[in-house]
Amino acid sequence: MAIPTSLLHYSGHSHLRQRLVLSVLSGKPLKIDKIRPNDSNPGLRDYEVSLLRLLEKVTNGTVIEISLTGTAILVKPGIIAGGPVIHDCPLSRSMGYFLEPVIMLAPFSKKPLNLTLRGITTDEKDLSVDLIRTVTLPHLELFGVSDGLELRIKKRGAQPLGGGEVQFLCPIVKQVKTLNFVEAGKIKRIRGIAHAVRVSPQFSNRMIEACRSVVNRYIPDVYLYSDVYKGEDSGKSPGYALSLLAESTTSALHCAEAVSRPGVAPEDVALEASRLLLSEIQRGGCVDRKHQPLILLLMVLGSEDVGRCRMSSPTERTVQFLRDVRDAFGTSFKITPADKTNSSSTDLLYSCYGTGYINANRTIA
Amino acid sequence: MEDRPHKAHRPAQSGAKVEKKGKGKEKQRGFNEKAFAPKSGRRAERLGRRTAEKDQTRLHVPLVDRTPDDEPPPVIVAVVGPPGVGKSILMKSLVRRYTKQTMNDIRGPVTIVSGKKRRITFIECNSDLNSMIDVGKVADLVLLLIDGSYGFEMETFEFLNILQAHGFPKVIGVLTHLDLIKKATTLRATKKALKKRFWTEIYQGAKLFYLSGVINGRYPDTEILNLTRFISVMKFRPLVFRNSHPYLLADRFEDLTPREEIRLSRGKCDRNVTLYGYLRGTNLRLGSKVHVPGVGDLDIKSVQALGDPCPLPDADSERRRKLSERKKLLVHAPMSDVGGVMYDKDAVWINVPGSFTRGQTNVPQGEGEEMVMDLQDAPETLEDIVTRSKIRLLGSSSKSLTVDPSSSRTTRHDSSDSDESSFEDEDASGLEDADEPSDLGNGSDGDWEEGPSTGCSGRTTARTQQRPTLAAGRDNGPDEDDGNIAFADSDSDMGDGPRGNRVADDDESDVESLPSGEDEDEDEGMDQGNGDVPRWKVNLVDRAKDFISSSRPARRDWTKLIYSSDLSPRAIISSSSLDPQAADDDTPDDDDDFFRPMKAGKSAEKDEEAPDMSKLAIDEEELKGWDDEEMLDSIRHLFITGGNAPGDTNSDDEGDDAASEDDGSDDDANPDPEAAKAAALAEKKAELKRKFDEQYDDPESSKYATFYDEQKDALARQQALNRAEFADVDTETRTAVEGFRPGQYVRIELDDVPAEMVLHFNPHRPLIVGGLLAAEERLGYVQVRIKRHRWHTRTLKTNDPLIFSLGWRRFQTVPIFSLDDHSIRMRMLKYTPEHMHCYATFYGPVSLPNTGFCAFTSLASATSSFRIAATGVVLDVDRSSKIVKKLKLTGAPFKIFKNTAFVRDMFSSALEVAKFEGANIRTVSGIRGQIKKALPKPDGAFRATFEDKVLMSDIIFLRAWYSIEPRKFYNPVTSALLAPGSEWAGMRLTGQVRHEKGLAAPKAVNSAYKPIERPGRRFNPLRIPRNLQAALPYASKPRTMKPQKRQTYLQKRAVVMEPEEKKALAVMQQIRAVRKEQVRKRKEKQGERREKKRKEAEKVEGRKEEKRREEKKESMRLAGIKNKREEEELGRGRKRRKVSS
Repeated sequence: MAIPTSLLHYSGHSHLRQRLVLSVLSGKPLKIDKIRPNDSNPGLRDYEVSLLRLLEKVTNGTVIEISLTGTAILVKPGIIAGGPVIHDCPLSRSMGYFLEPVIMLAPFSKKPLNLTLRGITTDEKDLSVDLIRTVTLPHLELFGVSDGLELRIKKRGAQPLGGGEVQFLCPIVKQVKTLNFVEAGKIKRIRGIAHAVRVSPQFSNRMIEACRSVVNRYIPDVYLYSDVYKGEDSGKSPGYALSLLAESTTSALHCAEAVSRPGVAPEDVALEASRLLLSEIQRGGCVDRKHQPLILLLMVLGSEDVGRCRMSSPTERTVQFLRDVRDAFGTSFKITPADKTNSSSTDLLYSCYGTGYINANRTIA
Repeated sequence: MEDRPHKAHRPAQSGAKVEKKGKGKEKQRGFNEKAFAPKSGRRAERLGRRTAEKDQTRLHVPLVDRTPDDEPPPVIVAVVGPPGVGKSILMKSLVRRYTKQTMNDIRGPVTIVSGKKRRITFIECNSDLNSMIDVGKVADLVLLLIDGSYGFEMETFEFLNILQAHGFPKVIGVLTHLDLIKKATTLRATKKALKKRFWTEIYQGAKLFYLSGVINGRYPDTEILNLTRFISVMKFRPLVFRNSHPYLLADRFEDLTPREEIRLSRGKCDRNVTLYGYLRGTNLRLGSKVHVPGVGDLDIKSVQALGDPCPLPDADSERRRKLSERKKLLVHAPMSDVGGVMYDKDAVWINVPGSFTRGQTNVPQGEGEEMVMDLQDAPETLEDIVTRSKIRLLGSSSKSLTVDPSSSRTTRHDSSDSDESSFEDEDASGLEDADEPSDLGNGSDGDWEEGPSTGCSGRTTARTQQRPTLAAGRDNGPDEDDGNIAFADSDSDMGDGPRGNRVADDDESDVESLPSGEDEDEDEGMDQGNGDVPRWKVNLVDRAKDFISSSRPARRDWTKLIYSSDLSPRAIISSSSLDPQAADDDTPDDDDDFFRPMKAGKSAEKDEEAPDMSKLAIDEEELKGWDDEEMLDSIRHLFITGGNAPGDTNSDDEGDDAASEDDGSDDDANPDPEAAKAAALAEKKAELKRKFDEQYDDPESSKYATFYDEQKDALARQQALNRAEFADVDTETRTAVEGFRPGQYVRIELDDVPAEMVLHFNPHRPLIVGGLLAAEERLGYVQVRIKRHRWHTRTLKTNDPLIFSLGWRRFQTVPIFSLDDHSIRMRMLKYTPEHMHCYATFYGPVSLPNTGFCAFTSLASATSSFRIAATGVVLDVDRSSKIVKKLKLTGAPFKIFKNTAFVRDMFSSALEVAKFEGANIRTVSGIRGQIKKALPKPDGAFRATFEDKVLMSDIIFLRAWYSIEPRKFYNPVTSALLAPGSEWAGMRLTGQVRHEKGLAAPKAVNSAYKPIERPGRRFNPLRIPRNLQAALPYASKPRTMKPQKRQTYLQKRAVVMEPEEKKALAVMQQIRAVRKEQVRKRKEKQGERREKKRKEAEKVEGRKEEKRREEKKESMRLAGIKNKREEEELGRGRKRRKVSS
């Protein structure tokens, strides 16, 4: 059986975030080489460098060495310090890119994290701050990270100029709870936030109308909030987006989102969001596909008991994540069909034996 | 008179006394209920509250016990005590009690089966402090031996304090040498005194055993029997540290380094060793480091689970058990010479007592003899078997591999000096020839048999399994071997063979492996039936069917795809998506991109296309599908308004009980859907019945009585789930997911072990492998709460080296002590405070907060004082420290205005002043002030303002804080690498170094005390200007008078006495002279008297002194004789360290 070594060594720029997170949590140094070696603009992108800077701020004693060409990095992780941190995100990626790894680290820091991020709040690559607030944070609550967990959206900032600001507050835990979430339940309510900044507030109403035309056929309990930021709080660029989430009887959450593009009517954006939500619901499981890595990570970090979660088939990111977890923590998942009698269901049951990860950074007085 | 007997006492038969006595006795009999009944309601309430509180204190936080119930690891029972107290005799007696055999030379741990459900590992702890610390960390039960004739010794208390710091395991005290106390009353008093002291140390009522003398080199059987009864019913509460770390007490140790390498390096090369033992604590996962106390942090090279060498009895083994004594009782002690087989460092010695003949099959043979006979029984050499074997290189090739004799010869030579573990290889598979045990197997073995399998777990398992079942194994040995050679193991079946087939068939299905059961069937069928038909032609029809069935929404083995294939994630996902075309498109791309001209455009596009994003790429096709009404309706059943899905048998109540529903679905292996459905239905009915019963019988009973019960129940449920989840999974997957479970007998291979560990291996030192958590592998600043032990004689000083025993580790480091100063700062302390906790910060390996530790200034056994210097607990772990020490800068005013002064000599430049602008300063007399601004003229001078006018003579100081970091010094105590007789030497104190080098402490010139020379202060007279004097009111006018120049009357008059006056004066003078003389004489006489008395007293004192000296001399002589006798009697060179109890 292959024994993982104490150095995590990868090639290529992809999956940088999860590898950094795993390195910091497991304490193993991380070496990544061949970062876009053949690109016309080789090496790390500005947002990746910014992420490393953010990591440096959130932790204490982290040593990050970037090679001269930027095509290789070596990260010797320190401890997760937390506390008040302010970070300006570059305009190439939205805040979701930075928030996601921080959310994975924050419960295990020394002091409760109070992170202020400035930049773009919503784009089409990463989770928007709305989804993080309404979907990601409730997922953390499944693991006992709840008291004082908050994401405040102070200002919104659309692409391309941003200007948004959010504040992320996260408490610390000693150990995350073991998850046992195998019942997907049925969808009981749909909620949504339609926001529009620096455009006519009518846009959000139009999106809501269009969305209702699709989802109202299933369920009456649909509330879509129109969230309009004005003046200073609305950032520097115009834009609008619709974030939807469906909650089941067992509080499983599915979410989808669509962002305004030039030349696309708000109705089309809303339709896209609703259809994405429907396909997400169709895939089933207790956890959204976008949150698979987060859930799996927290399951691995649980106490030394069996944690189980029912999810749809893994995404590319999840597959790589599972492999990386094995490298970092030496543990793997048992993945079996969730429903053995019903052959049409594609749901899988992910079960793992927690590593008993205890927050060693925590201070006891 | 004397011979007359005394009159016997006759108690009174009647009268007041009888009545009184009778009454008194009456009173004492029984329990007076009235005496304890509460008199008032309020009192009753208070009493009730108190009992409730007492009940609560009895409860402990529910802890999960990670040891499995079915096959728990043996309980570790450590025998601990000072030298010469009878530890070895107790070990011998205990082993004898359980195994009915006497072991002469017990070395290392001895594992025995003590009951149906319990095994015990006994380990004797030598009186070295290092060993005591290590044993204290792993022992579940400690038999603490105390010499009853001598009393407590330092070691006993030191050991108890070590236990306390590392979680207190159970302790049973054992008093020995009680036969040396002859007098019954003394014996009773001694027992009582020792018990009292023991109880204060552990808890009131702690169990203390008394062992009287030694009979036949053992303690009396009945006493040992009683002791073992107590041991066997002992229950253990899980200790937090051991419940979160895997660990192993090694009972066997082998060096696997190639001989040649050792020879070339003259034995100095790093070794490759294996350690064997039962895993305890939590699951051992791969990829984490382990710490071997006394050696250091090591990487695990490999771990294998072996067959249990000392298994618990089960129904099968009981049935096979014979009455013969040897078979009856199992003992596993590889480091000792048990059963004639001794596992030495680098060989296995088989000890054959007396004469030995092969023919006698009816006589039960020892393990060693059986092994040798097995070796002799091998009918043919490996070479023969190889030439006969039908191993094919590929699954599909029709010709089997043949071996050229000459080539095999060369391989043999190449690998001739590889590890001696191959010795076991052979005795495992049993096809060996006794002459060349080690060379035969290895080269060839590695080539095909071991290659495809993931580990060589097969062989050692076989060996150890063989031990109990030797008789059976001998008959059918060769047959099994043949099978083994032809087809290695199930591993390789699963891995290569079938996949190869599938590749030949079609590309796509190599991803989608079939259910493994079918696979194996198929293989077996083939093995038996048609030997010469090419493999791929077999069962074509069946496989075609399989393929068709599998092309439906596939049941793919995701675990295997993700973990054991090296397909890229994209390939895995795309092959799973509904159209198989995508996979075909993509995978070849990945495969044959060797030597392809780089398409710059494409790669760049790909880069941008696949950035690290969490939202998934939008599939336009899929979204289009939602235009369709049917599609929209197809997911209606997923909403609460939607009703049931067409194929879904579950009704609405499925959400009610998640756990039970899922447990039901776990027990698969039921291919028949009808049966499965029926089973599910039955289960659901049972569940409903249970619910109904619960509600009907007592709706309240389902609620937990207390929070405590609720917690315990939650823990129990989780444990049940843990057991159920992986019960039906094959071992390999289980190991990957779970790691190795406690209770398994494992072999851990460690690489790069210092050669000294092997060279100076001593089985009397406990050898422990402690697993480390992810955080514990790193070094950092550890802040602890520490208290000097009150029995340690010296205070501890900041920056003096201290040896910590923390977690698994023992290491020397340099702590800085500090105290929290009003929650503002951590202020450095030079010394630990008396009777108080303080903080200490040191650089060292990180431990989880709340881990206890103890510290030592020296581990040497030469000291007579109490060696534990301090104890405490870890509070915080960080990469930087925040300790400050006080720094006072002083200066002097050189110009003073009203409340402003110019100060110099505090700083040396204006820049420094600028840094401290606004800082608070103070004079010694207590006038507070502030630094304002630097002055241009003298460098470093500044202007400061004060709340009052300062004097030129005032010293002005600034209180600042200077931050210091502990030195980065971490020195593990490598006690397991020491040559016998040598002591571990760490960093020494400065004083020790000076002492050893004969140097004097340097003296700072400024620290020397010199006579203080204070210049006298001259005060100028007060002068008031004349016109001011004139203006003053009369009362305030200075009264200055000129000195008188002329003599006064009294000075210049002449005195002439009358004759009477003269006479009177003369008489007075005479009287005075007489009196003086009188007093002088009296004093002289008194002096004489005193002198005389003093001389007499001196004489008496001298006599007394003489007598005292005599007495002392006599008593010392007696003590010396006694000491000498004792030492000779007990045959120990070391002086005992007695503790007054």
